[in-house]
Amino acid sequence: MRMFKDLLGLEGLSPDEIRHILQTAKPMKDVLLRPVKKLPTLRGKAVYTLFYEASTRTKTSFEMAAKVLGADAVNIGVSQSSVNKGESLLDTAKTLQAMQTDLIIIRHSSSGAAGFLARHLEAGVINAGDGQHEHPTQALLDIFTMREKLGDLNGKKVIIVGDVLHSRVARSNVWGLTKLGAEVVLVGPPTLLPPEMSALGVKLSYDLDRELPGADVVMALRLQLERQQAGLFPSLREYSRSYGLDRARLRATGKDTLILHPGPMNRGVEIASDLADGPQGMVEEQVTNGVAVRMAVIYLLMGGTTNVVA
Amino acid sequence: MWWLKNVYAVDPAGFSGRRDILIRGGKIEANAEGLSPEEVAERAGREPVETLNGEGKYLFPGLIDAHTHLREPGQEAKEDIASGAAAAVKGGFTSVVTMANTEPPVDSRGLVEFVRAQGVRAGLARVYPLGTVTKGMRGQELVEMLDLKEGGAVGFSDDGHNIQNSEVMRLALEYAKLTGLPIVSHSEDENLARGGAMHRGKAAARLGLKGIPSSAETIMVARDLMLAAETGGKLHLAHISCRESVQLIREAKERGLDVSAEVNPHHLLFTDRDVDLFNTSLKVNPPLRSEEDQEALLVGLLDGTLDMLATDHAPHVWEEKARPFSEAPFGIIGLETALAAVWQQLVVPGKLSPERLAEAWSLAPARRFGLPGGTLRPGSPADLVLFDPEWRERITPDNLASKAQNTPFLGQELRGFPTMVWVGGETVLRGRRLYPAGEGVRRE
Repeated sequence: MRMFKDLLGLEGLSPDEIRHILQTAKPMKDVLLRPVKKLPTLRGKAVYTLFYEASTRTKTSFEMAAKVLGADAVNIGVSQSSVNKGESLLDTAKTLQAMQTDLIIIRHSSSGAAGFLARHLEAGVINAGDGQHEHPTQALLDIFTMREKLGDLNGKKVIIVGDVLHSRVARSNVWGLTKLGAEVVLVGPPTLLPPEMSALGVKLSYDLDRELPGADVVMALRLQLERQQAGLFPSLREYSRSYGLDRARLRATGKDTLILHPGPMNRGVEIASDLADGPQGMVEEQVTNGVAVRMAVIYLLMGGTTNVVA
Repeated sequence: MWWLKNVYAVDPAGFSGRRDILIRGGKIEANAEGLSPEEVAERAGREPVETLNGEGKYLFPGLIDAHTHLREPGQEAKEDIASGAAAAVKGGFTSVVTMANTEPPVDSRGLVEFVRAQGVRAGLARVYPLGTVTKGMRGQELVEMLDLKEGGAVGFSDDGHNIQNSEVMRLALEYAKLTGLPIVSHSEDENLARGGAMHRGKAAARLGLKGIPSSAETIMVARDLMLAAETGGKLHLAHISCRESVQLIREAKERGLDVSAEVNPHHLLFTDRDVDLFNTSLKVNPPLRSEEDQEALLVGLLDGTLDMLATDHAPHVWEEKARPFSEAPFGIIGLETALAAVWQQLVVPGKLSPERLAEAWSLAPARRFGLPGGTLRPGSPADLVLFDPEWRERITPDNLASKAQNTPFLGQELRGFPTMVWVGGETVLRGRRLYPAGEGVRRE
């Protein structure tokens, strides 16, 4: 197993490396479910979150993960606008280096921003979402959730539906899922699923209903409502009719298909409440698993071996 | 007087072959097959003769770069005319045409004359300014084209921006007829290109970067060709990057339009597959396109559809490029590396002849912009480049004459460099060292 300083994406990881992270997340989840959620493992280590884009759940999830492991989690406040106004990312990186940071968790609106930071820092970097590029811990928690319910994902059919073009969640999931042998189908309107998305090496489709039969997992992506203003789809109504998930439509799978959503949900747009809150809906499981997976990633990047927390 | 013995002379306006060349009084004195010492002595009269053995070397007319951004006035942290002219000479360019998108833009005669004067002060390459097409590069009112021409402008361009208003472009092509100078078009539909960081294609999809589709260029190329046809105006299309544009230009030339076009070396040497999220020196506009586009560009250069090579030398401060890809500015510097890179990657493998290279980088821009040079005929100004195809040099921040270092060749060793350069018969580069002429003593 290679030793890593950073987790920037899933594209560059091997299937075994992905499995290793997921294996490590299992005992982490056990810790999380204990009444006393605290380990001494990373006591004295400093983990910084640096979020240039608004986020509640991802940032909280990382902070929780770091704290359960015993590390000090420090939030560096940056407003969304500071990308253009404030100091450059390079100067921020130098400042963080000078603070003797052990690990930086960054979310940024530019593809490659996490990798950029990693190249300029001795500290480790976790990509919590860079532009439209990757969001590896989201994909890892999605895959962890799927494996908990379905076991081995080899040959399982996973549909990812929505704004694939702008989605780092979709990209990371495609890399991770295909490495583990799953069959991935990307579904969305042509404006959000242009032909060049075939670069990801999976099937593209505009027709959700045709793809649903046999699907083991359907993942709805969050629809950014400003895409309508940009002319990428005509209305929420038409979008929802073509690509919104609800219980009736999902009968076509012929299975107890798992429904995933990275959150926060636009209820009634990409996903109906009956489905999100029903037994097939995994949204809350995903949140719990998110902390476990992030604990595993933080732990492994800071030099841990799996048996310490078992 | 210089006696260049037995050099392989490449004259795009004449013949190529082993020649003896004499340089005297700022001009090419003789270009002949094997001169005897007696003949040379007779030509020299009382002038001392410096003899140079040209065995294994090429002699080109001084290269002319039709597309450079020397950033002065206003952005001298990126480059200035002196550093840009030094970079030009180190790369074999004895003349450069400068783009007008400075701060302020070159939209008045005074600024045209300033740029020229700075070029003369630098005493290296000849500097020929373009004026803007519109005042303040705002794409609305035309500049005083006649006055700018009298001040020394060799063409007009709002390069960096496209003139989105087709009526303004039409009027520019009409009015510029008074000057006989070309309108240089930066062909880009701003709505299609907005927010893009690289070519729209599979590589962009994989990296999660917003793409600039080929149509952003071809729509404006088509428009400008239609306007040129309608007006009979003189059009030059800058930095053509995709195959559909090449085809449009080919058809326009068959119909006899007064159109010329250029291709940048980086579009011939790199594709979007070379782009990653961290090498911002490959972030350029128009973007590096697909392999099919690259092939079409080379075919276009070979068959003359694309008349000339031009670097689009676009310097930036290091910190500006040391950013995440989508935030870094567009641009590649090329003056010091372009000839070596094109030689190594296109001429050495036999894809491009030295003759076509010299034609596309000297004669073609000379003719299009009405500049001296582009030939080795006796009597022509002695703007010359002695090129050593075996000279190796590593491209480092320390040995670049440009203030900028945003080149994809940084850290690499390239092979094939000018070892001597003459401008107007004066030696400005010798053994890779610069010899600027004294302030104001030469040219104009």
